[in-house]
Amino acid sequence: MTQHFKGTGISRRQMVKGLGAATLLPLVGGISPFAIGGQHAGKVVVVGGGFGGATAAKYLKRANPAIEVVLVEPAETFYTCPFSNLHLGGLRSMDSIAHGYDELQDRYGVRVIHATAEDIDAAAHTVKLSTGSELEYDRLVLSPGIDIRWNVLEGYDEDAAEKAPHAWKAGSQTEKLRAQLEAMEDGGTFVMVAPDNPFRCPPGPYERASLVANYLAQYKPKSKVLILDAKDNFSKQGLFMEGWERLYGDRIEWVGLSDDGRVTRVDADRLEVETEFGTVHQADVLNVIPPQKAGWIAERAGVTDDSGWVPVKPETFESQQAEDIYVIGDATVAAPMPKSGFCANAQAKVVAVAIAASLESRPAPAAHWTNTCYSLVGPEYGISVAGVYRVKDGVIAEVEGSGGVSPMDAPDTTRALEAEYAVGWYNAICQDTWGTQT
Amino acid sequence: MNRSIRRAVTPIMGTLLSLGAATTAVAETNLSSEQVGLLASACANCHGTDGRRSGSVPTIAGRPAAVLESRLLAFKHEETSDTTIMDRIAKGFTDEELVALAGHFAAIDPEAEGDSPADQEPQE
Repeated sequence: MTQHFKGTGISRRQMVKGLGAATLLPLVGGISPFAIGGQHAGKVVVVGGGFGGATAAKYLKRANPAIEVVLVEPAETFYTCPFSNLHLGGLRSMDSIAHGYDELQDRYGVRVIHATAEDIDAAAHTVKLSTGSELEYDRLVLSPGIDIRWNVLEGYDEDAAEKAPHAWKAGSQTEKLRAQLEAMEDGGTFVMVAPDNPFRCPPGPYERASLVANYLAQYKPKSKVLILDAKDNFSKQGLFMEGWERLYGDRIEWVGLSDDGRVTRVDADRLEVETEFGTVHQADVLNVIPPQKAGWIAERAGVTDDSGWVPVKPETFESQQAEDIYVIGDATVAAPMPKSGFCANAQAKVVAVAIAASLESRPAPAAHWTNTCYSLVGPEYGISVAGVYRVKDGVIAEVEGSGGVSPMDAPDTTRALEAEYAVGWYNAICQDTWGTQT
Repeated sequence: MNRSIRRAVTPIMGTLLSLGAATTAVAETNLSSEQVGLLASACANCHGTDGRRSGSVPTIAGRPAAVLESRLLAFKHEETSDTTIMDRIAKGFTDEELVALAGHFAAIDPEAEGDSPADQEPQE
């Protein structure tokens, strides 16, 4: 659409708002620019090809195939954080958590550009790519994931992450941490530094500790896991602790904030960490999950606030700070929805229909999101948390009486079923997001 | 865009109607097909796009509307022991939404290559 109004200094949306869709029609020769199958249904650029971005691209095309959709993602292969803990625990290959973009291109007609989005001009509605080219958009979807806040933990910078991996973005970091774990001698301590809220995948650190313990129990039985936590409570805590006791005895030790668990300094060369009150812990393998913020392109777009995250309008996930920019996934402030791949996928679907509606100048359907998050305490021991959300009184709220966690004291058969469903969930969401067939 | 959702009239009659539901028992809901499509898209995260996946999580595409409806309503309202998570999820939907979702997935051909439910629904 943008090309029709170039040089007028007003966006298509402003024109629609100002003139009304009916009066707009004669401007483009009497042909509805929004007709399904027509040439001018609008152009949407999606930045980021993870659970949020890839889903948004696909569901935009499903909402209206006439919308031109461009997906910008640097990687040709995307490794998921979900199930990367299974690789860490020696239970899955990296290949099994790798996904590509063939379905989006071949089946849905999404144009996929493997480049980095380097800058965004929200006023001009353009995205600048690392290739030097510039993309115009009518609507922009940002699904930038997270970035690390380097040096907030003293001594934890990009160099330190080579020695004490965070492995909180799946890929080479995951492999590095796995290699260190494999090389660790029996009797060693795997020390994990866990961050305060909010951060990507609230139960992730504790699933990781579980699957590392599972590996150690089998291959390095004299070794331990120590979690130093910057908070006093964590996701599915009761269920994790019940499972740890049952499967791993005292192999996993968790130290919360009140017991001086908050790490303030990291010495990656010596694999040492120091807590708030001066306790120094020596690791044999050191996994630092540091404080996080929205992926940096969100800052460039001017959609982050002082918290480093992105405030959005609950009904549509359009930025509160920039018109026509929609932001989804871990980068957003969407509590009580957690920062999960499932939520990113669910938010993407709401955004897709909201954008399709806005391009036709009609109201979006009412937003509704679901989250299900499985964690594996062991390969055959799964637990879950679910939530269903709507907008209530202008804010995102969990539907009363819905959701919650798996029951405590459940029989082994229930845990085994949930472990099986965890795999079923992973396969389904990866099919839904990238078209990966398993 | 406002096609009504074909569905069985009541969950009690569900089993009796299951065979004839698609042709005889048609009722209106106040939900637009776009709204139902959005609600249904959330199911894909575990059941695959359009509910077509099979595996540890059951396929929901193409199952009789009455069966889906009675299951969904039971997940929401009754103490069922044969679920681990659907009871927690179903409680987040209204009865009308659950009924509409049952109709939506029943109308999808589980084997078809089509991309969206619209591909399988009769044209009006």
